[in-house]
Amino acid sequence: MNAARGFALAGVALAVLLSLSCGRRQAAPDETAATPVPTAPPMKVVLFFPGDDTLLHREDREVPELPANGASRVKFVMGELLAGSQQGAPAPFPYAATVEAAFVDNRGNAFVALSAPPPGGVQGSATEVGMVYASVHSVVANCPGIERVQLLFGGREVQTLGHLDLSGPLAPRPELVAR
Amino acid sequence: MRKTLTLVLVLTVLLVARGAAAVSVATPKGPAEVFARGDLFDLVELIRLTGAEVAFAPAAGSYTAVLGAHEVQFTPGGSLAVVDGKLATLSGPVRLLEGRTVGSLSTANELLAPLGWGLQGSATTPELAPLSAGERIEVAVVRDEIGTLLVVRGTAQRPRMAATKAGVSLHFDGPIALDRPIEAVGELEGGELRDTTLTLRFLPGYEVANTYQLKDPPRFVLRVAPAQKPAPAAAQGEGRGGPLVVLDPGHGGEDQGATGPAGELEKNLTLAVARLTAGRLQAMGIATRLTREGDEGMPLHERTALANRLRADVFVSIHANASQARGARGAETYFMNADASDPQAAQAADRENASASPDTVQLILWDLAHVANLDASSRLALAVQERLNAMQETRDRGIKQAPFVVLTGATMPAALVEVGFLSNPAEAARLTSAEGQDQIAAALAEAIAAFLRPPEPVPSPPATP
Repeated sequence: MNAARGFALAGVALAVLLSLSCGRRQAAPDETAATPVPTAPPMKVVLFFPGDDTLLHREDREVPELPANGASRVKFVMGELLAGSQQGAPAPFPYAATVEAAFVDNRGNAFVALSAPPPGGVQGSATEVGMVYASVHSVVANCPGIERVQLLFGGREVQTLGHLDLSGPLAPRPELVAR
Repeated sequence: MRKTLTLVLVLTVLLVARGAAAVSVATPKGPAEVFARGDLFDLVELIRLTGAEVAFAPAAGSYTAVLGAHEVQFTPGGSLAVVDGKLATLSGPVRLLEGRTVGSLSTANELLAPLGWGLQGSATTPELAPLSAGERIEVAVVRDEIGTLLVVRGTAQRPRMAATKAGVSLHFDGPIALDRPIEAVGELEGGELRDTTLTLRFLPGYEVANTYQLKDPPRFVLRVAPAQKPAPAAAQGEGRGGPLVVLDPGHGGEDQGATGPAGELEKNLTLAVARLTAGRLQAMGIATRLTREGDEGMPLHERTALANRLRADVFVSIHANASQARGARGAETYFMNADASDPQAAQAADRENASASPDTVQLILWDLAHVANLDASSRLALAVQERLNAMQETRDRGIKQAPFVVLTGATMPAALVEVGFLSNPAEAARLTSAEGQDQIAAALAEAIAAFLRPPEPVPSPPATP
């Protein structure tokens, strides 16, 4: 009795499923259905990555949204840069750097606090120039009003990582960008 | 029913308590109510009590507080602030709480102090008052293996320094007070404070060799050393009888620099190339001095300072490169950053030339000399790069400018050369071979000699009949 009841229920369920399935297949396109709401066009960020020639190479990237606020925008752009190139350029930083904080003042300076490199983690001036100026150019290119960028490491200002004077905000150097 | 009433009562009390979360702050004008939660205070309200104007800039997402000549900027959600144009790290973050911008007592004090105010007392009975006599500093005498250090504790200010007949005077930007009178200890004979100028007197024959700043806690350090006797005219400066070249082998000691694929160390390579270059220059009759003779560390500023003190005619810092880019190869030469004629560089020069007066005329003269050196430095860099380009297997990476610490503050034509990439296995093999190093040294010596050679006179056009 129970088995018969079970088979009957299964049969009904199968019939319902089949009818739904067929109904879907046979349904004509609904001309009256609302067209998809157009989503906001993706925004674009311009990033700079050091290439084999150690010059900075421009890479455009579409992002779903770009924060309007100065510090949040700086942090977002740095996050995109640290995520690495999508076109095969070498990583701009020689270690897995993370953005800890960003600050924007009213003099056109942005301050980006990054995790500290491991001891001996930044070797060669090309590496240092690449990571510093990739950051400077990427932030300045995407954040209106920002003219200079200072990188902080491990929550503090550093004089140098071995070569460059990092004790103050740096302006972009166009001659370091590949043409 | 009874339970429900109790719950409603408790919630009402809590809501009332939250709404009344204000603390009475004693100020010179009388008590004022300021929003507070536990040990967190409304920073904007507190700062406004000082009379400062506080404005929020939505684009930057930060507040700017201005009082008199002082300005403090801070951002909700961050631990960084800009105080009078200088970056400062706060001991705790500025937070957003119930639509208020709040911070702890210590964070509040860090923002108030540059405006000349301080918050004293406890979190429940705070008192806002102007800072009376400025920061209280202390001058301590410390001895290390090299000599005597004077440590100015209690301020994060970096004073401007000027040599006096008997010692040195330190000019602070903000008000300061001496924690205790300065006593005569070792080379320090005494000192006085007048307004914002601290004058220190040394025993005869002593001077400041160099200065630097330390953090956590902030300290300003002066190294006192026997005064350098003026060198004989034949051995120094223009009357030396010949030019002096200072070569700087990059890195050294614990700072190993870049490491090659087989463990080759940049510090060894640069020393070897510098020695070979010095040998070749000396063979040409050009006096040469190395900033380090062996495997020893030396701060970057001191390398340039040595060249400045020796009144060198040329300064070349020798390095080997490394890059994340596997294909990176070739030599490149940098010269002083064009932006280096900014106040930062002037300060660096002032720091290194401890005897230099920081008055305006001196700074202008220094600036003029610095700008003039830019052109000469670019010619030096070009001469070096051209010789390295001429070497077989060396790819031209051109001359560039960047704010290298070791070039900032140099008062003579200066360049930094990256002779090749240690991160590139093929180049590392050449850079570490005796033959490769000799080739590089030959190129560097030829370039420096060519730079020092006086330009040949241009023949005047024949007179027209």
